[in-house]
Amino acid sequence: MTDSERIPLHFSSQSDIDEIEDLLHISVEPVRQAADAGKPPSPPRATIPVFSSPPPPPPPLRSVEASTSGASSSAGGLIGFGPAHTTLTEPVWATLKRDLLQVVSNLRIVVFPNPYRKDAGRALRDWDLWGPFFFIIFLAFILSYNASADRPKVFAVVFAVLSAGAIVLTLNVVLLGGSIIFLQSLSVLGYCLFPLAIGASVCMAKDDKIFRSIVVLATVTWSSWAVYPFVSTAVPPSRKALAVYPVLLLYVSMGFLVLANN
Amino acid sequence: MAEEENYSNPLTALFHVLFKGSAIAFYILCSFFINSFIIQFVVTVFLAALDFWVVKNVSGRILVGLRWWNEINDQGESVWRFESLDRESLERMNKKDSWLFWWTLYLTPVVWLALGIVAVIKFNFDYLLIVGMCLSLSAANIIGFTKCRRDAKKQIQSLASQVVTAHVASRLQSALNFV
Repeated sequence: MTDSERIPLHFSSQSDIDEIEDLLHISVEPVRQAADAGKPPSPPRATIPVFSSPPPPPPPLRSVEASTSGASSSAGGLIGFGPAHTTLTEPVWATLKRDLLQVVSNLRIVVFPNPYRKDAGRALRDWDLWGPFFFIIFLAFILSYNASADRPKVFAVVFAVLSAGAIVLTLNVVLLGGSIIFLQSLSVLGYCLFPLAIGASVCMAKDDKIFRSIVVLATVTWSSWAVYPFVSTAVPPSRKALAVYPVLLLYVSMGFLVLANN
Repeated sequence: MAEEENYSNPLTALFHVLFKGSAIAFYILCSFFINSFIIQFVVTVFLAALDFWVVKNVSGRILVGLRWWNEINDQGESVWRFESLDRESLERMNKKDSWLFWWTLYLTPVVWLALGIVAVIKFNFDYLLIVGMCLSLSAANIIGFTKCRRDAKKQIQSLASQVVTAHVASRLQSALNFV
């Protein structure tokens, strides 16, 4: 009875899609529940008008999760990821600002003390590779700038060592039976280069061997401290040393490169 | 439509092509003018990275109405998320825009591959680094957008079939109610 009131009993001249989407609003829940009285259309998304008038800007959209195939998620519209449903129509500056803020916040999470470090997997959920990209380029540039001989070689070598090193280290963790997400780990290893980059730029200021040693020691320790929780929690406890050692080795060798620069 | 459509987003289309083209052009032309590998590397890779960002975040949205990104969910698994405009908006997308988008997207890694082969032939293995970075950036965008487009089509189909099923079922229900 209530069903027949809501469902148009005649097919008007509006397009089929409009009518189907109209029905979608009505019958979002499984049919059994739709038969219950007085159930309002549930989806909170922007409404699609029943008749063929142009939809109000911004155009309505769906956000879909690839890992679960469609039926309930697409019918429900938005999947509990707050601002995502507006990202398709947001202005460019908003995107840019969001990405830049993400870089800053990732940096803060990885390198500086904060309460989220206990749970490593959660900490860098919104990983991004922009930060690591800038740090690697910066570090390679600084090291090659001070190099006395064959600057391009130094730049290329540092860049290749850092990027290939990050990839290999991630593979190492994966092969040790650790649960780690490839790109997230690349992101973490890249962000942990931040202290080394700072150390390299500070070392440019003074040529004193003792000063440089202290700075390098401090920054390598900082990098290692930053990266340790992420790597050690990713592997089974018996294999912790096997996973952590190569990472520390990489940072220490970068430290030596910084130290040896003159 | 019988009439010829113009680009409806010329500025976005321009930027879409601009960074790709300038990365390739800079890579090819730089060695003639500036004798510094580092500058060539940094500028080319920076342009390629800018292009990646523009395609993923701006021209993908505006020209073809698709968006993809990767998230880590609460269980710590990596989840690829795709976003697309609904079917009406997708169909109203400018055909020229999307033609330009997809063609340049697929053409770029082909060009970089050719440049990479040239670098190998010339034994300039340093330049392979540049080519490798640009290739991986283009490949990432291609994979993301192709998956997103396929996902959008799948979603439209499943949505349509699901609604049709619900429609039929509710019709049956109402028919039975009258009995």
